[in-house]
Amino acid sequence: MAVLNRKRTAFKLFSRMVLLLAITSGVGLLAHLIKLDRQQVLASSVFIMIVMATLLFWQFRLAIAFVGISVLMGTKTLDLPTFIKECKLDVILFLVGMMVTVGVLKELGLFTWIIQSVIKTRRMTGPMFVVIVAVLAALMSCIVDEVTSIVFIATLIFQVCDTVKVRPTPFIIIAVMATNIGSTGTMLGNPVGILIGQNAIPPLSFPDFLKWSFPIMLVTLSASIGVLLWWFWRDIRLLSERLETRREMGLGLGPLVQVPYKRGLGILVGMIAFIALHHHLESYLGLAPNTVLIMAPLVIAGLLMIWRHERARHYIEADVEWWTLLFFMMLFAVAGALQHTQVTEKIAGYFQTAFGNRLSILTPVIISISAFGSAFVDNVVFVAAFIPVVNKLGHTPLLWALLQGACLGGNATMIGSTANIVALGMLEKRYRTHVHFFEWFKAGVIVAVFSCLVAWGGIAALSPYMPTRAQRELEAVTNLQDSQKHLEINSHQTETSQSGGPGASVFMDIIFPEKM
Amino acid sequence: MSKGKTAIQFSSLFGPAEIICQTELTDRDSILLELLRLLAYERSIGNVHEVYKMILERESEAPTIVGSGIAMPHARLPTIDQIVVGVATSKKGIVYAKNVDNPIKLIILTVSPKASPAAYLQAMSSVAKICQDPATADVVAELPTAEKVWKFFDQGGIILPSYVRACDIMRPAKVKLQEHDTLEKAITLFVRHGLRDLPVVDKDDNLVGVVTTYELLRVCLPDYVLWMEDLTPILNFEPFAEILRKESKTWLAEIMTNEYATVDADSPAIQVAKEITRQRVDRAYVVRGEKLVGVVSLGTFLDRVLRG
Repeated sequence: MAVLNRKRTAFKLFSRMVLLLAITSGVGLLAHLIKLDRQQVLASSVFIMIVMATLLFWQFRLAIAFVGISVLMGTKTLDLPTFIKECKLDVILFLVGMMVTVGVLKELGLFTWIIQSVIKTRRMTGPMFVVIVAVLAALMSCIVDEVTSIVFIATLIFQVCDTVKVRPTPFIIIAVMATNIGSTGTMLGNPVGILIGQNAIPPLSFPDFLKWSFPIMLVTLSASIGVLLWWFWRDIRLLSERLETRREMGLGLGPLVQVPYKRGLGILVGMIAFIALHHHLESYLGLAPNTVLIMAPLVIAGLLMIWRHERARHYIEADVEWWTLLFFMMLFAVAGALQHTQVTEKIAGYFQTAFGNRLSILTPVIISISAFGSAFVDNVVFVAAFIPVVNKLGHTPLLWALLQGACLGGNATMIGSTANIVALGMLEKRYRTHVHFFEWFKAGVIVAVFSCLVAWGGIAALSPYMPTRAQRELEAVTNLQDSQKHLEINSHQTETSQSGGPGASVFMDIIFPEKM
Repeated sequence: MSKGKTAIQFSSLFGPAEIICQTELTDRDSILLELLRLLAYERSIGNVHEVYKMILERESEAPTIVGSGIAMPHARLPTIDQIVVGVATSKKGIVYAKNVDNPIKLIILTVSPKASPAAYLQAMSSVAKICQDPATADVVAELPTAEKVWKFFDQGGIILPSYVRACDIMRPAKVKLQEHDTLEKAITLFVRHGLRDLPVVDKDDNLVGVVTTYELLRVCLPDYVLWMEDLTPILNFEPFAEILRKESKTWLAEIMTNEYATVDADSPAIQVAKEITRQRVDRAYVVRGEKLVGVVSLGTFLDRVLRG
């Protein structure tokens, strides 16, 4: 039996490997046929190889990404300076800072307090629990990130479901979907948020997300909660009955302890405020766009590590997901190679040829493509490759369409986002139970399609009020000039101001990388 | 695993020459020594005093009473390569141990190879059926000759099973909880019996779940409490206080787990080891259908299989 199983596993791996090589070669051949040059063919093939690796060899994705990068460097498709530039260390460091801070907040009891606040809610009913869980998951996803959010929310769900003995799967699915929707709300919600924010031309700020994406998220979330309440009504009604029985017996949903949460809450609020004010601080200090945004989690994490120096190594080693971050770095570099070899420019050209330049057509197209792609492969892969295309198309609403599609599409399948995989892993580990692909898919497709439609409506409604790319560029230049003036006054560095200065050149490079 | 062609009769393990019939001796140690001497003479089991000492040590730990008036002492020797059996009967009865009230009338002594853990258990399993009949010891003790005693075993169709079953090594599950019991009773039983888990049965004795001390601890210290590095909020067992306040109202269903090892009574005993290892628990529950019939702890398993 064991031998048979080993043979089956080996056959499965072999057939997947054949599929990976076939698709990679197929893409390479296709790229060659459409007259891409050698480097473009290689960059496209390696990119597709990594995309397929995330789909077929989830456990080996980092190893395959390492090999892919080596191939690109060995064939001179990607040189070392470009690799280092395209790794997007700014995004990686931002995520490191966030992960360390979340680790400290967890130990300080902030998340314990949040969960306790939910389980001690009086007269809790099934629908109320679902609404609380969904809203909390979405907001936590906005404030920390989707993975952190789902880890804590899943723990809350397990606690309640274990106590009242109901099946946790529907509530986990609800929470994951709310988390994915919530992750579109701010830049912090999802790695693709910071990726889009940082790589949009010119970059988007935290207030931009609050202004244009957060309201759409709220509407999408409310509508999706309605759909989820309807879809899982039977399980929710059972939860209501069990909660009622437990309440009649005078029993709670778990032990409650006095948690000294205020320090943790203070740190979180401080960090959010720091991040929210980044635009103003950058203008005031004369810093390049989003410098404070990247700096804020690092500063907070650094200070926390000094304060809790005896645990500092633990935070870095245990709380930071190095595996994921390294994968992201490789992915960014491969996507960078696509841009470097001007493959993305060609794709943008094909896009414009196929769909024209009308926003009313491009918005649903971008949402649909990114949602469909994110349903099956890591949304970071998709966004990393697509952001240069969207930049090239030049419409601001398309940035939000990319964000919405990439995050909301993840709800369609159980492998659609990191949050889905983490939550299902927790479910499997705790209950030794599997969620069937179609159990998720049926609800997932409905929610994904519905939320994408709502998001499309939201973007269409807000589009007339959104600044155009030219307006954003103008604003960025104005800010840059203000910053320069401020710097001149403060630093008295006359030689820098006379020559236009290296500082200005760096800023311009960040704001308009394509023009430099 | 069939019992077909390779079935071995229990009576083939000994002959009339290895039976002491209606002995006049009445103390355990003398009859055991006499039986060992006989086996040494007939079957060359090696140093009699060494084996004798080994058997007495084993019996003083826990007398091997396997049925009414029946004892089945044994030893495992590295010097022999097949199981050796000797039988002694007594009409008067033998005083076997201080805490054994009924006199022993039938002693089935087995000496098995040390490297063959199954041999003794198979022998014990084969006679288990006749041991269940309370009249067996009296009937055999009345048989006047060694030949007739041997014939009793030979004609009884006592077959050595081809493998040891879970029910051959299990012990009865004496401590168990009913479905409708509360947490209060579970805690009391945990403390009183020093057990790490307790089976929960319904009114028909069907196993419906298991309550473990680990689960109890997890109820008091759920994940969200364990996240905190600072122990101050729970320094005085605050989460336990709430559980204690509500223990008489908390039904077992709330902390009962469905993750436990079960084996069918007739499945091979090795299945017990497999389930215990696979599920990382320290005892397996033996069921017949859904009915709980016994339990095999890791300790029992090691004792029976490696030292028994």
